[in-house]
Amino acid sequence: MSQLFPMKQVLGFVFSILLTIIALAVYFLDMSFAVGMTILLVTAFIQAGLQLVVFMHAGETKDKGAIYTNVFYGLIIALVTVFGTLLAMVWDM
Amino acid sequence: MKIDNSLPLEYSTEENSLKILGFWIFLGAEIMLFATLFATYFTLENRTGSGPTGAEIFQITPVLFETILLLTSSFTVGLGIHAMRIGKQKAMISFFSITLLLGLAFLGVEIFEFVTYVHEGAGIQTSAFTSALLTTLGTHGAHVTLGFFWGLFIILQIKKRGLTPQTTNKAFIFSLYWHFLDVVWIFIFSFIYLKGMM
Amino acid sequence: MDFFDRFAVPHPSFAIYASMAAIGLTIIAVIAGLTYFKKWGYLWREWLTTVDHKRIGIMYLLSALLMLFRGGVDAIMMRAQLAVPDNTLLDAQHYNEIFTTHGIVMILFMAMPFIMFFMNFVVPLQIGARDVAFPRLNALSFWLFFMGAMLFNISFVVGGSPDAGWTSYFPLAGTEFSASVGNNYYMIAIQIAGIGTLMTGINFITTILKMRAPGMTLMKMPMFTWSALIANVIIVFAFPVLAVLLAMGTLDRQFGTNFFAMDNGGMDMLWANIFWVWGHPEVYILILPAFGIYSEVISTFARRNLYGYTSMVGSMVIISLLSFLVWAHHFFTMGQGAFTNSIFSITTMAIAVPTGVKIFNWLLTLRKGKIVFTTPMLYSMLFIPLFTLGGVTGVMLAMSAADYQYHNTMFLVAHFHNVIIPGVVYAMLAGLHYYWPKMFGFMLNERIGKWTAWLLSIGFVLAFMPMYISGLDGQARRMYTYSESAGFGPMNMVSFVGAAIMAIGFVLIVYNIYYSTRYESRDISNDPWDARTLEWATHTPVPEYNFAILPDVRTNEAYWDAKKNGHVLFKGEFEKIHMPNNSGIPFIMSCIFFVWGFSFIFSLWIPVILTTIGIFACMALRSFEQDHGRYISVKEIEETETNLRGA
Repeated sequence: MSQLFPMKQVLGFVFSILLTIIALAVYFLDMSFAVGMTILLVTAFIQAGLQLVVFMHAGETKDKGAIYTNVFYGLIIALVTVFGTLLAMVWDM
Repeated sequence: MKIDNSLPLEYSTEENSLKILGFWIFLGAEIMLFATLFATYFTLENRTGSGPTGAEIFQITPVLFETILLLTSSFTVGLGIHAMRIGKQKAMISFFSITLLLGLAFLGVEIFEFVTYVHEGAGIQTSAFTSALLTTLGTHGAHVTLGFFWGLFIILQIKKRGLTPQTTNKAFIFSLYWHFLDVVWIFIFSFIYLKGMM
Repeated sequence: MDFFDRFAVPHPSFAIYASMAAIGLTIIAVIAGLTYFKKWGYLWREWLTTVDHKRIGIMYLLSALLMLFRGGVDAIMMRAQLAVPDNTLLDAQHYNEIFTTHGIVMILFMAMPFIMFFMNFVVPLQIGARDVAFPRLNALSFWLFFMGAMLFNISFVVGGSPDAGWTSYFPLAGTEFSASVGNNYYMIAIQIAGIGTLMTGINFITTILKMRAPGMTLMKMPMFTWSALIANVIIVFAFPVLAVLLAMGTLDRQFGTNFFAMDNGGMDMLWANIFWVWGHPEVYILILPAFGIYSEVISTFARRNLYGYTSMVGSMVIISLLSFLVWAHHFFTMGQGAFTNSIFSITTMAIAVPTGVKIFNWLLTLRKGKIVFTTPMLYSMLFIPLFTLGGVTGVMLAMSAADYQYHNTMFLVAHFHNVIIPGVVYAMLAGLHYYWPKMFGFMLNERIGKWTAWLLSIGFVLAFMPMYISGLDGQARRMYTYSESAGFGPMNMVSFVGAAIMAIGFVLIVYNIYYSTRYESRDISNDPWDARTLEWATHTPVPEYNFAILPDVRTNEAYWDAKKNGHVLFKGEFEKIHMPNNSGIPFIMSCIFFVWGFSFIFSLWIPVILTTIGIFACMALRSFEQDHGRYISVKEIEETETNLRGA
């Protein structure tokens, strides 16, 4: 039975629950917007990285260079799109 | 076709590793799809017209349920792939079935949430904010629904054909998709719900 | 009758009725012809169900040429309308529809399939592969594109064309100002074609990354393959943006949401913003493969290896990133702050640097070269000065303060035609002449080809240079007429003459195809241009499996290496070759998509639901199907190879 529950994945799951609880602090505790956003950004990106490496096995084959390049390229463009849009449409209007 | 036995079954043929890389690239495209929705949502977040704001309609309980359900399903689909790699077909099918049931429960809560919103006067036509909110959530929900049927077909194929290079390849790709939906949910949970309720 | 009224064209004119009759007669003629010559089976077996990248490529080419003339007719009508002041050839509505469809057809249904044709036909051959990574997906990509294009084209005889510009800005494109179904066509037809394009992107990245011949590292890939790789990377990250944008546009138009509405918090300029997040990378999707073709052509006919290979690759990678960082330069005048405009101004000007690097690399390739002036080379030589001119006016437009003067004037129209025609269209024509012998086993006539190139260039200069001037004088784009006192008359008349000369050039291309098919020699070698890359190392016509033995590659000009340095490309014995089976599913599924799209456009929800089920049924069918392809035996390969060598 225990071989069905590898340590790495169980720990990954525990850690992701933990990150969720930390993120919940922004709801239950009183804090400034900046602190709250920082917590959310940190927990969300760690959580995403966790899924990528632990559960999605991104780095296990010789294609890992292509896979990581693809994901990071996507991430950079995604952030540029989101923040560029906010800059042009909301912050600097 | 050549089968390379040094690799897990899902990578064992040339075609298999092509499909896995191809799917990763598709996920890159999905990142941009959701990024566009997020960009729209953040832009329109405070433009509520005469409709309610996020803080007025978001409730922590259903959101928390959805998060736990999806996180757990992501864990179980990972266990399913692990079971598949050590050749335990029955355990794998059980883990996949649990995953799909959790996915179904997630959809149930999400539909309940949507119905509540509409009752509270926050339909998709109410304001720019509700349009963006429900479209973003709906796109994620549609992905989960599609994933449910996809997963179901894969379970059926594994029952019928066993763990072959083809079926394991499909199962592995499905697991990538499911984990990705979990990642998207983390961002929805953090930057739509928690940020909105902060 | 109410039900049928919605399919009527809202602004009928003689031209539209004539087109209806022409379309009807063409369809009848095609069906009758296929039946009379008993070609239905051939069409189905060899083309509609094919998964062969070369045949799919040729189908892309045919669609692109067809659409070139559809968009070209729009163009000549526009120039004719504007040739004299106060002209009444077209009314305002008709003019609006024509500039809208001209833009969409030329960008999405002409230029895109043209580059898809080159990628499909050339990339697997250049990297020494037997097909693309996902042959069936490739067929689906083509058929989705094709059905999207056809759906878009029936708009002008059923229900009315879109009329809010190819950018389709809200609120003009919203139901309040554009009540007819025209803009629904825009949303749905482009959506269907866009899904196909996205899948092509995924397919070719995987192909190029994983299926290269032994020994061909990334930095030994031919330059066209590099440009295709980068263009596909941009496709994969830009097209999802378009998909979301069109979905939101559809929701706004047909489901009453408020994304781009004027009230309830909607933000009309958000459409423009997201449109250009996709739209700007889109122009690099078009221009990079064009650059790739110029690189191949210039190095072949300068008889020199490409100068600055590494910097060519590096500049394309930088362009691919920068292309996502400049979109707001399309709406400098929206009213955002100087800070935002400065950022986007600087990123825009920065793109000129890697592009300049490429121009200099081509010039330095020519230096000390033994230049052979063939038609493809002539196009490339005309490209360099004309495109540079367009690039320089681009830098002018990039200055956000000055842009307040240029914005939405003919200056802008002149600029983007100045980069797209010499940049993209010339590359497509150069490539068409260059690869024609590989496809069909005979060359296009060189004399007619050179006449065409010169006519197009003279026509181009006459048509578009006056627009720079009239634009600076204040002629706005998209105005269907102007008064005589505005003084734009002479400039626009020159433009019209130029457009007419270009039209003659395009007709000459068709004549060249006809003439060469009849009279050109079939006795050509596998390598009529004395070229440098792997696609010329295989037979003409290319056998189904491309290469009987996969080539062994040492440099980025493997075939040149084999010809000049005695490198042996094909080592070893024949082995049986695994090939994918043909499949009807991509075609059938795309037909269902067509019906889905048509029903969606007219809000016919019952057929929409039925066809949605049909689409998912096709996907499920594919999932459960077990198709492991087939093998070509060694004996068959030997027979084919002997036949081809003998010929």
